[in-house]
Amino acid sequence: MTYAFAALAFLMAGLATAQALRRAALWRLGAAAPVDWVSGLAKLPKRYLVDVHHVVARDAYASRMHAIVAGGLLAATVLTAFAILPPLAGSHLYWGVVALAFAITLAGSLLVGARRYPKTPKRLSKGRFQRLPILLLAYAAGGTVAALSIALAGPGNAVLPIALLVAAAGGLGLAYEVKGGPMRHAVAGALHLIAHPRQQRFEQDKPDAALVPLDLDAPKLGAELPADFTWNRLLGFDACIQCGRCETACPAFAAGQPLNPKRLIQDLVASLAPDGPAYAGSPYPNARDVAGEAGPLFKVIGPDAKIHPDTLWSCTTCRACVEECPMMIEHVDAIVSLRRHQTLELGAPPQKSFETLANLREADEPGGRPLSARGDFAAGIELPVISKRGAADVLLWLGDGAYDLRYGRTLRALLKLFHEAGVDFATLGEEERDTGDLARRLGDEATYQALARANIETLRKYRFNRIVTSDPHALHALRNEYRAFGDDFEVVHHTAFLLELIDGGKLAPGKLDAGTVTYHDPCYLGRYNGETEAPRKLLDRIGLSRVEMARHGRRSMCCGGGGGAPVADVPGDARIPDIRMAQAAETGASVVAVACPTCTAMLEGVTGRSAEVRDVAELVLMAVEASRADEPRRAAA
Amino acid sequence: MIANADALLKPLTIKGLTIRNRVMSTSHAPGYGKDGKPQERYQAYHAEKAKGGIGLTMFGGSSSVAIDSPAAPWNQISVADDSVVPFFRQFADRVHAHGAKLMIQLTHMGRRTKWDTENWFPTVSPSVRREPASRTIPKEIEEEDIARIVKSFADAARRCKQGGLDGCEVSAAHGHLIDQFWSPAVNQRTDKYGGSLENRMRFGMEVLEAMRAEVGDDYVIGIRMTGDEMVADGLSQEDCLAIAAEYARRGLVDFVNVLGGQARDHMAHAISLPNMSFPVAPFLFLPSAIKREVDVPVFHAQRVTDLATAARAVSEGHVDMVAMTRAHIADPHLVKKLSEGRADDIRQCVGAGYCIDRIYVGGDALCIQNAATGREAFGMPHEIRKADVRRKVVIVGAGPGGLEAARVAAERGHQVVLFEKNPTAGGQINVLSKAGWREAMSGVTRWLIGQVQKLGVDVRFGVEATEEKILAEKPDVVIVATGGRASRGHARGAEEHATTCWEVLEGAKEPSGTVLLYDEIGGHAASSTAEQLAKRGCLVELATHDRMVAEEVGTTNQPIHLRELYKLGVVMTPNMELIEIYPEGNRLIAALRNTMTDAEEERVVDHVVVDHGTTPVDAVYRALKAGSINHGQTDLDAIVRGEPQPFDLSAGYALYRIGDAVAGRNIHAAIYDALRLCKDL
Repeated sequence: MTYAFAALAFLMAGLATAQALRRAALWRLGAAAPVDWVSGLAKLPKRYLVDVHHVVARDAYASRMHAIVAGGLLAATVLTAFAILPPLAGSHLYWGVVALAFAITLAGSLLVGARRYPKTPKRLSKGRFQRLPILLLAYAAGGTVAALSIALAGPGNAVLPIALLVAAAGGLGLAYEVKGGPMRHAVAGALHLIAHPRQQRFEQDKPDAALVPLDLDAPKLGAELPADFTWNRLLGFDACIQCGRCETACPAFAAGQPLNPKRLIQDLVASLAPDGPAYAGSPYPNARDVAGEAGPLFKVIGPDAKIHPDTLWSCTTCRACVEECPMMIEHVDAIVSLRRHQTLELGAPPQKSFETLANLREADEPGGRPLSARGDFAAGIELPVISKRGAADVLLWLGDGAYDLRYGRTLRALLKLFHEAGVDFATLGEEERDTGDLARRLGDEATYQALARANIETLRKYRFNRIVTSDPHALHALRNEYRAFGDDFEVVHHTAFLLELIDGGKLAPGKLDAGTVTYHDPCYLGRYNGETEAPRKLLDRIGLSRVEMARHGRRSMCCGGGGGAPVADVPGDARIPDIRMAQAAETGASVVAVACPTCTAMLEGVTGRSAEVRDVAELVLMAVEASRADEPRRAAA
Repeated sequence: MIANADALLKPLTIKGLTIRNRVMSTSHAPGYGKDGKPQERYQAYHAEKAKGGIGLTMFGGSSSVAIDSPAAPWNQISVADDSVVPFFRQFADRVHAHGAKLMIQLTHMGRRTKWDTENWFPTVSPSVRREPASRTIPKEIEEEDIARIVKSFADAARRCKQGGLDGCEVSAAHGHLIDQFWSPAVNQRTDKYGGSLENRMRFGMEVLEAMRAEVGDDYVIGIRMTGDEMVADGLSQEDCLAIAAEYARRGLVDFVNVLGGQARDHMAHAISLPNMSFPVAPFLFLPSAIKREVDVPVFHAQRVTDLATAARAVSEGHVDMVAMTRAHIADPHLVKKLSEGRADDIRQCVGAGYCIDRIYVGGDALCIQNAATGREAFGMPHEIRKADVRRKVVIVGAGPGGLEAARVAAERGHQVVLFEKNPTAGGQINVLSKAGWREAMSGVTRWLIGQVQKLGVDVRFGVEATEEKILAEKPDVVIVATGGRASRGHARGAEEHATTCWEVLEGAKEPSGTVLLYDEIGGHAASSTAEQLAKRGCLVELATHDRMVAEEVGTTNQPIHLRELYKLGVVMTPNMELIEIYPEGNRLIAALRNTMTDAEEERVVDHVVVDHGTTPVDAVYRALKAGSINHGQTDLDAIVRGEPQPFDLSAGYALYRIGDAVAGRNIHAAIYDALRLCKDL
């Protein structure tokens, strides 16, 4: 009978492998992708124990639960397999250890069950996931009793066959679930960690968020069919455990727009394998009707397919879902791939973005305004242009915000601070084109690449040490995404630069007495670039009392302004910036500090605000001016 | 946010001179000139606008280029000799420090000035035609005069350039020498300077050519001109289009600064400087038409009081620069407030014409609602500094004085309680703004109460302040701004039988039939009341002690009253004093005395309405006086020196009285009383 127990472990492994291979046949429909298996496999333990654990541990219960149940399950099954060795099969001690491993699994199974019964949290999917604790319980309980009975009463005891039967039912059930059920995440997840399309994200401290350039000469642009994704991305979608952390983080979901990142990934899975179990998680809010036709060679997006275009265009590309995903799935990459096809092949970007994209294409600027008017905001303040000087220490990249009346105030504040600190700087003047970020997020890679190449060519004409910009979207493009086109400029956000000026004694701000302030992290600075500290330090330096919103830093919530979402303007129940300002109001802060032109526009647009919206640069200037105003008084005293 | 505001905040480049935005102030003569020079007060007034974000500020309206166009009459600027250049330099540095540009207007006024001042030279003009407004009979200008004056213009332009000014304009508007030549109503010459329009344009061309030759092609020179004189024998719109097009085509001018009308008589003044009875931007169509004919920037000023209208004028392409001259007198920081997103904080010009009307009687320009304008050099602040010690200030009365006191005290950081017995703020403004075309006066209140509430002042409407209620607040300072009450005057029987203008305007009395309206003040109230009564069908006789009706009402407002009174058939009887009112049957007899002959006359009327101004409402003041540490007295010397009142508040509360609660005066007086007291509180 002990061999039967060992055989169960081998049977489970065999069944799981068979199921995984059936699934792998689907992944192979995907496009080829270079994968270094040896290196990936070697790095798997670290990626699992450090990178995955870092995300999982944010939910302490889930973390404990997973460690116990997954560790127990793996240990118990592997240990049981060793029963084919006769010396072990006859050892009471060995069976005692096996029983302990199963008992741990049993404890974990109870935790899994307790999370779902009697009431399942909203973010968790139900369906076959509700069966998981039962299978686990059967395998673990059966295994515990079986191993314990051998340890105590020897292999001939009467309880053993019944216990084994129970364990086999649970264990084989779990193995079967590797193809279409919850257990798929274990196999796909491990393989995904090895063959992840963004290997860099495990190798560096900062996020790896730059989009991969599209080969514009490729026979097909962007992803139309599931099979258009590379195979390891299809694998990635299969890794999803439907924990719903992404949907809790998604701003579009919160605003009642028809996007739920979990559902989106599951729809991609279902597009590849339409015969799988039905999705049983929370739906797209205000879901648009779709006919739902699917298959590896059927288009993914469209009213007749699984995913409505409104879902695709609701995304702000804020990467909150990516940040929260314990399975390291790259939702935003998938969305941009799909968008590329919609825009470049079908000419179907959002209706309201046609003019914007045409402006970017023809006028190098989303509003179609003359490039020479970009510096108009500064009239009255000296704004040096690099073409007149050829060189400068700092090249100031103004960005699209320069055309905005409100944001002009921020840039004027920044210019005043530059002059105050004696910064040797210049702008590109009318040679500055849009970075193309908006075009790229809207899927118009062709316009983006043209702008990127033109900008890089311009930048190369001049001598400067680094680029400073107040626009995190421009920063991300120039610092990270232009690299693929050959730029290697050092790019600094204005908050980091101002902090440097203060630390270097070039600016001497006084202390502001302006109530409490809460800082809203821009997605493209925090999540995309990992920069969350400089703005906070600046606010502390100028003496403001700072409070944090519940969601801040790399886990901050988007203002709603990224990824072309304002242009797409997909209706929902609420507006994302309203939700964010309500979160700010909960802190009681009288000022919301921002560090991005898009955030400024979105948050300032909230009606009935309880707090003022001020860029960090504006606050720093106020502090500098406050210290100057105090000087004569101090001198007089 | 104002629609199209971004159109205003775009720079404009004229010949390499970049003006930071599209908002400007036109050259005018605020009466701040001293010895013919722009000195401290004049410079500080314009520097404040520069500080407030204006793109271009032009000063020196009608600055004279020659000594037979004297600078003395309205305390103007003389550019007739080099002694003005250092003042220009200092002035330009001051304005440039705030990022704005500075230009001046140069002119020879021809017949439109006085001969009986300064050097007592006769005035000159193309032909001998007397202008009613200036009251001078000129000498016919000779070719030698022309050559001399052309050279004077060139020399003056050189002085502008030497002084660091960013440019200048010549005035060919309001009937100055250049447009005296243009206008067929003035120019009757038969030589090469008269007759055809080409000939009439000649003098101006010679002037501009000489200036160009002197300062070069890259120095900005513009012209201020009318777009239509709007008189039968004057320049038509077609004439003006032709002139502007020709001058611009020849490269003589770098901008055209267009206005509508002329200024040869009383009514013409009222039209060319439109008051609140006009719609906003009434003559925008004139620069708009010229803009279509010329390829140089077009400027325009005329009752553009709000930024929304200004933004529309620029964004729709009617003008390139919009001049908000009076709007800047009301709020010199309006561009700054716009660009800082604080457009709601702009104190908007109501079009009372108080500033311009003071100039025409030889006074200095002051704003009816902003007491700091023109007093920058005397320490009157547009931005109030926080006080070192926070006080409890109780103010009684939410008229203009009380509101300004509350605003300034709150800006100082004090804790302010404002009592108002009525359910709304405004005091006497609520009465006078009920009168026909004077409705816009309510704007004075609207801004003040908006600021007061924004600053967190505890405003208690519908609460009549008593000694107990005030002292219960434990105040450090009490300011009584209870205003005045309409007086029935001193004629026999007036207390029993006279109705006040207030009672009519407020609707408390609704006279019908025949009305004798007796006006001893000469202000707006009696004329407004007469207009209202006549409109309702009363037969009105407006008798006044003065030589003319509405004699105290200024140059740009009085003609509007007179026009309305004539149109409504109101009988105007000057030089009369009301001496007695008594009933006879169900009617009243009003006895009048002719102030020149002493002859007495009687009128049999249904109602006698009077304006005798106000008497102070001072019961609260008298009740609190004895208990106050200063016996209710304001230290006048400290006020004049701009110093805090020298009272030790640890010993009790200080009591001050401001505005009409002291003596019946006007809105500006009440607001000035409040500002100068509270800025140091």
